Amino acid sequence: MSGDYGRILVFREAGAAREVFLSFDTFGIAIGFNGHVDLGTGIETALSQIVAEELDLPLDRVRMVLGDTTRTPNQGPTIASETIQITAVPLRHAAAQIRRELALRGARRLNAPAARVTLSDGAVRWKETVATYESLIAGEEVALLLDEATPVKDPKDYTVVGRSAARVDLPAKVTGSHPYIHDVFVDGMVHGHVVRPPYHGRDSGAFIGHSLVGFDDAAVRAMPGFLAVVRRGDFLGVVAERADQAEAIAEALPVEWLLPPELPDMASLAETIRSQPATPRSCDATGDFAAGIAQCDVRLERTYVWPYHLHGSIGPSCAIADWNAGEPIVWSGSQNPHMLRADLANLMQLDEARIDIRRYQAAGCYGRNCADDVCGDALLLSHATGRPVRVQLTRAQEHLWEPKGAAQVMDVEGGLKDGAFHAYSLDSWYPSNRGPNLALLLTGRVSPEPRPSDMGDRTIIPPYRIAHKAITVHDMAPIVRAAWMRGVSALPNTFAHESFVDELAYEAGEDPVAFRLAHIDDPRTAHLIRESAEKGGWEARTAPRRRREGRMAYGQGFAFATYVHGAFPGTAAAASAWVCDVAVDMETGEVQLTRVFVGQDQGLVINPDGVRHQIHGNVNQTAGRVLKEELSFDEITVTAQSWATYPLQTFPETPAIETMLVERSGDPALGVGESAAVPAAAAIANAIFDATGIRMREAPFTPEKMRAALGIAGAAQPAAIAGPVAALSWRDRLAGRGLGSKANGATGSGKGTGARKMGLAALLGGSLTAGALALPIHRAIPPTPAPPAASFSAELLAKGREVFAAGNCADCHTVQGGSPNAGGLPVETPFGTIYTSNITPDPETGLGNWSFEAFERAMRKGVSRDGTNLYPAFPYTSFAKMSGDDMFALYAYLQTLEPVRRETPPAEMAVPFNLRPLNAAWNALYLGSGPLAPVAQKSPEWNRGRYLVEATGHCSACHSPRNALGAEMGGDAALSGAPVKGWYAPAIAGTAAASFGWDEERFYQYLRTGVAGDLAAAAGPMAEVVANLRELPDSDIQAMAVYLASLAPDGTGGSETAAGQTATPLPDATHRLFESACAVCHEPAVANLATAAKVPLSRSAAVRSSDDEALRTVIREGIEAPLSLATRDMPGFAAELTGAQIDALAAYVRTRYGAAAR
Amino acid sequence: MDRSIEIAVNGTRHAFAVDDRRSLLDVLRSDLGITSPKYGCGLAQCGACTVLVDGAPARSCVLRAAKADGAAVTTLEGLADAATGALHPVQQGFVEAAGAQCGYCLNGMIMSALALLSANPDPREDDVRSALRHNLCRCGTHAEIVASVMRAAELMREAAGNPARDDAAPAERAAVVSKAREGAPA
Repeated sequence: MSGDYGRILVFREAGAAREVFLSFDTFGIAIGFNGHVDLGTGIETALSQIVAEELDLPLDRVRMVLGDTTRTPNQGPTIASETIQITAVPLRHAAAQIRRELALRGARRLNAPAARVTLSDGAVRWKETVATYESLIAGEEVALLLDEATPVKDPKDYTVVGRSAARVDLPAKVTGSHPYIHDVFVDGMVHGHVVRPPYHGRDSGAFIGHSLVGFDDAAVRAMPGFLAVVRRGDFLGVVAERADQAEAIAEALPVEWLLPPELPDMASLAETIRSQPATPRSCDATGDFAAGIAQCDVRLERTYVWPYHLHGSIGPSCAIADWNAGEPIVWSGSQNPHMLRADLANLMQLDEARIDIRRYQAAGCYGRNCADDVCGDALLLSHATGRPVRVQLTRAQEHLWEPKGAAQVMDVEGGLKDGAFHAYSLDSWYPSNRGPNLALLLTGRVSPEPRPSDMGDRTIIPPYRIAHKAITVHDMAPIVRAAWMRGVSALPNTFAHESFVDELAYEAGEDPVAFRLAHIDDPRTAHLIRESAEKGGWEARTAPRRRREGRMAYGQGFAFATYVHGAFPGTAAAASAWVCDVAVDMETGEVQLTRVFVGQDQGLVINPDGVRHQIHGNVNQTAGRVLKEELSFDEITVTAQSWATYPLQTFPETPAIETMLVERSGDPALGVGESAAVPAAAAIANAIFDATGIRMREAPFTPEKMRAALGIAGAAQPAAIAGPVAALSWRDRLAGRGLGSKANGATGSGKGTGARKMGLAALLGGSLTAGALALPIHRAIPPTPAPPAASFSAELLAKGREVFAAGNCADCHTVQGGSPNAGGLPVETPFGTIYTSNITPDPETGLGNWSFEAFERAMRKGVSRDGTNLYPAFPYTSFAKMSGDDMFALYAYLQTLEPVRRETPPAEMAVPFNLRPLNAAWNALYLGSGPLAPVAQKSPEWNRGRYLVEATGHCSACHSPRNALGAEMGGDAALSGAPVKGWYAPAIAGTAAASFGWDEERFYQYLRTGVAGDLAAAAGPMAEVVANLRELPDSDIQAMAVYLASLAPDGTGGSETAAGQTATPLPDATHRLFESACAVCHEPAVANLATAAKVPLSRSAAVRSSDDEALRTVIREGIEAPLSLATRDMPGFAAELTGAQIDALAAYVRTRYGAAAR
Repeated sequence: MDRSIEIAVNGTRHAFAVDDRRSLLDVLRSDLGITSPKYGCGLAQCGACTVLVDGAPARSCVLRAAKADGAAVTTLEGLADAATGALHPVQQGFVEAAGAQCGYCLNGMIMSALALLSANPDPREDDVRSALRHNLCRCGTHAEIVASVMRAAELMREAAGNPARDDAAPAERAAVVSKAREGAPA
């Protein structure tokens, strides 16, 4: 810095305030201010280049401030590729103004003629003399009023613009130091979590804002970190000290909502959209369409359908708001900070000048996502609590609530006369608006009436010379919340134009590119088409070529469009042309986009690399939208809650991309943010036609749709699983959590829904008759206070503790989240529900008044102290084999547990099974006699192992199948595998166990750590068993391994996979669900992924079960691995998948990894 | 339930009590101020949260912090040379080949690339695409990301004094089609 601080700036009057566009100060740094933001497209770099160029300053001395409402000019939302084309214009003039002022000052300083000084590298030069910019403003504050008539440089003289510049934000991003909105930390901030209504993603109708019946905050006030529950209309949120606490409270908060009304039938998308209220608006009525079409010798009528899409930001939206006593500060990732400020001012009834929006980069949004909504959430919560509040939406909230990229229907009629495109009508329905801020709707600040908008007309005028046209847009309100998404309505409109013209070309017997050129008048457009076809390797043809090699068909397609944005008739952004190649698998219907060539005319190119990156991004993103993406609905609402049911394009699916940028440095720069997306759908459809001869007119072009169109067998299977409209799923999702904070309960007992339930397949069969009633009931043993805990020796108690662990007692006698060992866990049998008993020494409700005699009788005979029979869900047939010493040690140990008063609920058994005397008869049949006697020929270790397995450990209770009377089967069937508790306990004895690969070493590893190499990992109920076995000495684990190995005599240590015949299912929605939700851990892409499954799915116990129940259980509930084991967690999917989706996924897994039952 | 754990993050040991249901991602970001791993889905589907746990890549959104007790965790913040600030070759590769647009997924891309290159220092482009097949990028930066990883591999081999590649295959891009099973052209 030379001399005193000084600054020069360019401003514009905006009411009483000044909006500064550019400043340069004596630190040598230029700061540009732009009301648009960087959405991850690198616009910050391009704007910096413009400033550096006009100012003759090195690029690394330029900074940009983007979007902060108190610092940047209001230049409207960052949409429609306008930043470079429109909002950068005053910035360029401001830089030229400062340059001109500095040149004049420099000339004076250097005693040089003003016209002859040169400016470069931040200095004014004359002959050998130099004056730095800084030296020319020292000690001064120079303010220049923006003059948009200031001459700017001739592009011929550019040295910075037009050359590739590295992204200025990348170095900080690769080190993790770049602050995204998600990374902002504000002193004193607390955390909010919103509870959204069940009408996910809907924004019109009288129920909006009026569906919250009530909530019970008393139920959650005692939860850790609780600060507040805040309600305004249908806006509901909780605030807590930590984010995880806020989420837990939000999930636990009982909330009652009214059931929302149904959506129209979203499966019949085209009919539904056409039947909504709409106002037709003619955009082009050249000639007389009715007359023209009547003159045509070839006439075609076609309908094109575009699906609903997600913007799909990788980072769910996040914001922090500080109410700040009525002068709010909001840290935001908004696309439109100034528009957001107006919305928040409306929400809080404040003058918008009092709100300061500080804009940070967020994950790319490609249009309007929840970034603004979450600011409203945070501000409402901060207002209510007086603290700065951060709100991070969940993935499900972002998926469900973001304003969607709207579906669109295009009805087309047109024809040829004498081989020329003579008449064309297009009716386009686009149910979308600008997505009013959600907080405004939920609080009732804005009324929820349907709000039509006018954005369906983008690129609605075909580029061709057609004598008779009738181009009509039907302005209409959204059906579900929708707002602009990359390419807006221009992409679907172009899908129609460019598919239809392709079809007409073949009808005319002409090459599609030649046919287009014959109907183009604008030479610049013709040049782009011609150059792109030539450079892109276009192969002229007059009919689909249907090139086949083996099962693959190959084709090439062309399409182009000029993206027109802004209010009709709009402004042209860059024009793009696609030449693309596809390979179609004629057996599965899969379409692989193998190569895309994009020619693009964007006038002056600011940053060639930046433009190419935008082209690549548009191609990859839109290819996914065309080939894969499609939002599904149920009767009420949007259903996709994660990438599981809304898969994105993956790396192996992306095409090779080539680009050609037309050189036009003399023309104004045009926006490039969206143009290359626009021709995508038509180009791909046209390529598929070349390959197969079929026309795809409804996106996405999934394998199911391709198979149906191609008539490939298997196509008859409905694709309704994760595709549009999965039947009745909302009932599943609402039923589980009718009063819950999130509609996340699935059909089963998902995680977080409270008590675990066990489904014991113990069949108390019909052979028991009423005659059994005559059997005697056992005598009651009078209550006798148990000996005081202190009376037992430490040695005895240590022994008892081991027996307790080996018997896994705590697991069945503890309710999740309840007091340890106090019982109450429901055990479901086909004949009713039994609750496990309280085994703490509480005198009234537990074992405190049980003598050892009573305890031992219960353990060995299944008779309770009062003489009633216990149900055989309690494995006393195994415990009968325990030694007297162990029995007493266990009794002693139980008397030292923390006493808990908790009544055991009575069993809820169906007649006649509620008559416990029946059990006595059962006992007479199946109860063995007394403790196990050692087998003399076997080693002590083997005998010890046998004792642990057969008696204390009662392994057979789960691993042995049961007969019709619910008794464990012996002989060869013993330990041969059985379904249990909704899971599957596989064979641990016999040839099945041996051929699977069990041997002594693996048994030992498994029982000690929960994991036996890649053979098996303990999950579900077994994980708790192994966790409890940690109490047992190594010698006992080894003994169990020795014994079990002896039951699997052929255990040669082979690790043959259990897989019998596996099959590759035809790709469909369930296949995509598996690939996007399951494969990451079950088919990991990197070898040593620390969160992947330990065992291949083909060896999973659930897959080896004879039915799908265990698979469904694990998919629903996931796995929460005991912390003491080496096993891993798996997330449960009950909250987001419907019962039908889980069924289909289980069936898919069995088909793909399936094995015969073992 | 709170549980005492000890984790070393980028060489710094942290001992603290943590609710045993909390994810490592949450604890890193909220408690330790390590913000390079990003929350994207919470279900291991997108990869934005990837960190290394004892050298192995992990999706920290589905790994409970208590499960990482005793582990050494490496994040993006820990890759550059602590003394000189010099970028790790993988980071350098991503800068040189501009492997990001919005960059929200970038952490996962770099950490996954690191895992790939540790196992396979000389990958082909298809190996890179395959290794990143469970990392989602919505900006469509796939081509630049693959180029970044290829460049990173080159830089790492150079750093290891072994710049030669056994088989540079410029035309391999066309072989994507060969994925399409038998009958595909060579």
